[in-house]
Amino acid sequence: MTDATTLGSGIGWKERMGRVHFLVYVILALYVVIPLLSSRFLLPSNQLNITRQVSVYLILGVGMTFVIISKGIDLSVGATFGFTAAVSADLIKNFGLNVYLGIAFALLFGALLGALIGLMVTKLKVNAFIAGLGMLTAYRGLTHLYLGADVIVRLPKEIVFLGQGFIGFIPVPALLSILVALFGWWLLRYTRFGRYTVAIGSNEAACRVVAGIDVDRYKIAIFAFAGAMAGCGSILMVGRLNGTSAVLGQMYELHVIASVVMGGTTLYGGKGTILGTFLGVYTIGIIENGMVLIGADFHTQRVLIGFLLVLAVAFQGYRERKKGVMERR
Amino acid sequence: MTDQQPQSDRPTPLLELRSVSKRFGAIRASNDVSFALNAGEVVALLGDNGAGKSTICKIISGAYSKDSGQILWNGAPVAIASPDDAARIGIMMMYQDLALLEHVDVPGNVYLGQEPSRKVLGVIPVLDFKKMKRDTVQLLERVRIRIPDLDVPVSQLSGGQRQATGVARILQNDSASLLIMDEPMAALGIQEERKVVELIKNLRDSGFAILVVSHNLDHVFSVSDRIIVLSTGAVAGILDAEDATHEQIVGLMMGGALK
Repeated sequence: MTDATTLGSGIGWKERMGRVHFLVYVILALYVVIPLLSSRFLLPSNQLNITRQVSVYLILGVGMTFVIISKGIDLSVGATFGFTAAVSADLIKNFGLNVYLGIAFALLFGALLGALIGLMVTKLKVNAFIAGLGMLTAYRGLTHLYLGADVIVRLPKEIVFLGQGFIGFIPVPALLSILVALFGWWLLRYTRFGRYTVAIGSNEAACRVVAGIDVDRYKIAIFAFAGAMAGCGSILMVGRLNGTSAVLGQMYELHVIASVVMGGTTLYGGKGTILGTFLGVYTIGIIENGMVLIGADFHTQRVLIGFLLVLAVAFQGYRERKKGVMERR
Repeated sequence: MTDQQPQSDRPTPLLELRSVSKRFGAIRASNDVSFALNAGEVVALLGDNGAGKSTICKIISGAYSKDSGQILWNGAPVAIASPDDAARIGIMMMYQDLALLEHVDVPGNVYLGQEPSRKVLGVIPVLDFKKMKRDTVQLLERVRIRIPDLDVPVSQLSGGQRQATGVARILQNDSASLLIMDEPMAALGIQEERKVVELIKNLRDSGFAILVVSHNLDHVFSVSDRIIVLSTGAVAGILDAEDATHEQIVGLMMGGALK
C-alpha cells in the first residue's frame, strides 16, 4: 500500500484538503437551508453584515491557528482582546494618543500580553491551558480594575471608519480581516516563523535535538503573535461599537477556538490552515446570523456553538485514530 | 577476530575509541571499550539489551560524556561535549524513530533548522522552497534514492523512504562522514528492509563510515563488513562478517554475560 508507485500527489492533496471540503459543503448546505427559514438571509445587506460580524473572529482566529498548530492553546484571547481594547481606547480618547500610534500600541500591548503567556508556558513550564485560564481571569480582572464602571465612547472618526466604514460597498472590517488572513496564510506558508510553528507542533523534540531550533523563543513569539492579532481585532471592535466596556470579548475564546478547530486545525498539533480557519469562522458566523434571523436568542446560540465545538473535536479525534490504525508501525 | 589495533601501514581510522569507560552509579555501562572505524565500511554494533550499545553511541555522538579513555578523529584526539560538537566534526546520529515531522514534506524535513531563504523585493525573507526541493533531489541522488513525490507529508511515505529522508537530512551537513544508525531496520517489512540495506551500502560506497546498532543477527549479517559484539558494557569480540557464524556471535554475546 505504501509502495512508491502508489504515492501520487493526489493522496496528499486529498489528505490536506479533505477537511476544508467538508466545510465548503456545510456552508453550501447552510445557504440552501437558511433561506427556507428566513427570506432576509440572502439579502445583500445581510450578506455584508455577516462579513462584518465575522471579521473580528477571523483576525483572532488567525492568531489562534498559529497557537493551535504549535500544539498550544490560548484561552486568554478574549480577555487579551478586552484589556487591549480598554487601554488603547482610553489612551486614544482620554490621553490624546495619535490614532495611528494608538493602533500600533494595541498591537504591541496585545503582543506583550501574549508573550507573557508564552513565557509562562516555556520558562515556568506551565501547561498552556492553565496559563491561558489564569490569564483569562487576570486580564479580565485588570480590565475591570482599569475601567471600573466606566465605558469609553465616541472615538476618533478614523477608528470608527475601521469598524464601520465602507470602501465602495465592501465593509472596511471585512476587507481588513481578509487582508490579515492573507498575511497569516503567507506567514504560515512562506516564512521560517510559520514553518517552525508547524515543526514545533509536529515534533517538538526533533526541533530541539535534531534541528537545534530555539523552540522556546518561537513559542513565545507565537503567543505574542496571537496577542497582537487580539490587539488588532480589538481596534476594529472598538471602531465598530464606537466604544468599549470591561466585558468586551467575553466568551470570544470559545468562539475563536471552535472556528479554528472546525476549520481542521488539530489540537494534536502540526496541522492546520488559515483557509480552514476562514471557512470555520464563516460557518459559525453564518449559523449565528441565521439563528438571529430565525429569532433564536443569544443563549440558544451559545448552546449550539458549545455543542459544535465538542462535535468538531470529536470528529477530529476520530479521524486521527482512524489514520493511526491505517498507518504502518 | 583481530584488527583491533590498526597497523602502521594501514590508513588512519576515521574514528578510534581507546579504553572508553562510562559508569552510571554502580553500573559500568561502558567498560574499557576500544575499536576503530574506517571510512567506507559498515560496522555493526551488536549486543543484547543492556549490553551498552546505546551508551557507546551516545558517547560518540556527544549526548553522554565519557568518564575515561580517548576518542581519536582522523588520528587526532577530540573532545565531543555535545551533539553539536559531534555534528561539527561530521558524526551524525540517526535515531530509531528518525525524529521526522509527520505533517511536513521531505525537503522540509531534510532542511529543518537549516532552511535556505531568499529575499522578496530585496528585503522580506521567505523560505526558498525551490532550492530546498532541488537540493533534496540531489542529496537523494547521491545515495541513489528516488522518492516519487517529495511534496507529500512524510507520514505517507514507506519505511524505507522515511529512512532515506532521515539520511538526506544528515547528508545535508557537508562535513558528515560517520553515520550512526540506531536499529535502522526495526519494524520494516522485508521489501523495505532490503531497500535500507541497499541505502546503507550506497552510503558506504560513497565513502561514509557507518555504525549500525542492532540486536538482530540477521540484520547485522545482511549489511555489515565487521561486527563488534558488546556484552555487559565491554567488547566481547570483533569479527569480520564474512567469516563469522551465528553460533560464534551468540557465544560471544552470552559468554560475555557469564564472565
